[in-house]
Amino acid sequence: MSLDMESLLIAVSGIAIVFLVLAVLCLLIPMISGVVRVFTKTQKKEPEERTKEEQPAHQSVSAVELVSDHPSAPAAYGGDVVLIGVDEKTAACVMAIVSYETGIPLSELVFRKIKEL
Amino acid sequence: MEFSFIGTLQKIFAESGFAALVQEPRNLIMIVIACILLYMGIVKKFEPLLLVPIAFGVLMANFPLTGLLNPPDANGNVGLFWVFYQGVQYAIYPSIIFLGIGAMTDFGPLIARPSSMLLGAAAQFGIFSAFLLALGLGFPEKVAAAIGVIGGADGPTAILTASKLAPEYLPPIAIAAYSYMALIPMIQPPLMRLLTTKKEREVKMEQLRTVSKAEKIAFPIVVAIFVILLLPETAPLIGMLMLGNLFKECGVVDRLSDTAQNALINIVTIFLGLSVGCKATAATFLRWETLMIIGLGLLAFMLSTAGGLMFGKIMYHLSGGKINPLIGSAGVSAVPMAARVSQVEGQKANPANFLLMHAMGPNVAGVIGSAIAAGFMIKVFGG
Repeated sequence: MSLDMESLLIAVSGIAIVFLVLAVLCLLIPMISGVVRVFTKTQKKEPEERTKEEQPAHQSVSAVELVSDHPSAPAAYGGDVVLIGVDEKTAACVMAIVSYETGIPLSELVFRKIKEL
Repeated sequence: MEFSFIGTLQKIFAESGFAALVQEPRNLIMIVIACILLYMGIVKKFEPLLLVPIAFGVLMANFPLTGLLNPPDANGNVGLFWVFYQGVQYAIYPSIIFLGIGAMTDFGPLIARPSSMLLGAAAQFGIFSAFLLALGLGFPEKVAAAIGVIGGADGPTAILTASKLAPEYLPPIAIAAYSYMALIPMIQPPLMRLLTTKKEREVKMEQLRTVSKAEKIAFPIVVAIFVILLLPETAPLIGMLMLGNLFKECGVVDRLSDTAQNALINIVTIFLGLSVGCKATAATFLRWETLMIIGLGLLAFMLSTAGGLMFGKIMYHLSGGKINPLIGSAGVSAVPMAARVSQVEGQKANPANFLLMHAMGPNVAGVIGSAIAAGFMIKVFGG
């Protein structure tokens, strides 16, 4: 085979197939996430209700609003941390302390806002 | 018995490798090349984990009279490197390397932003354009296909494709693939600056959503089912990549995950390096085609980078300026080097820019993409 129409067709088909397969995977990922979320919610419903009954409102962290992808918290969008009256250094310290105290790695914590009381 | 000291010395020399080198001086050139490769690996630190064993394999293979490459004979004797090479011949080593890569890879950024898949696809552009260029230069179709896969910047994939389609060209293809992977910090930045504007490079991307453990476990299973059923030729690479990743994510086989990403991948890297190097004998390496392959490999790699960047620009415009096109160049699958380059270039344009995790998405998508492209080439041209 030399450089001709057939080889050009092979090259175009090749890149098209790579795009097609990865595009299908791109569509499959949200579906996987959706299915996983439905399953996780169904499985967690009971334990969560029990936890709510056992633990009253004082459980919330006073100045820091955070979520984690641990089983007790739903997976959520992280976004940038909103700092209210707190400089970046203090915020970093607060994050490290929360991670240390809760035993949840920083990579699994999402901070929404940190506010000075 | 009449013993002559001088005569014995003469006999030892006449039957030594030195005398054979005089008869075949091209081996001497290969020994010099091996020493240069060792220098590049040890002193310049170009992919030393692979380049050092490859270079030493080149050195050993070019010592005359060793019989290291001899196939089994009637007396049951066999060359040590011939045995090692069977792991390449039957695509065992690249597949095990992919197992380790899977165990080391976090697909989280890709799951968090699935559109990264398309950047990984665009960065395979170099594979197919280099294939056409190689055909234009007169290479046979199978060799052209194997040369093109260098553009995927994925050593194991390039080795697997070459071992199936063009085993006689395996050493230059493997050496080119790994050399360019090591040269990513030098090859990509000028292209990144040439093909993007400062405004585009300054884009600060939104933080990625958190990905749950269950999503990370489901991902390798679904990808393996879908891709391998569609393109069975990708099974050795995609199957092992996804198995390794499942080891990592499922959390119940930590010992297997640890072995795959440490001991096993290190052992196989030694055998892979030696096997590739031992095929670089004077007869197979010292020819014009080697230089052409190295040149075409560089071109393939640059075109892949450009393909990723151009698609990144398209996504920048489609997203209303929310996607930094620099992450497109990470679509070539050299993990995590290409993502690091995106991070460095992004920070040069805007010091508050943290692109590493965003670039990891296209980077790991590129690994899948190059395996699919290689599977396509093997399917079309036969293994």
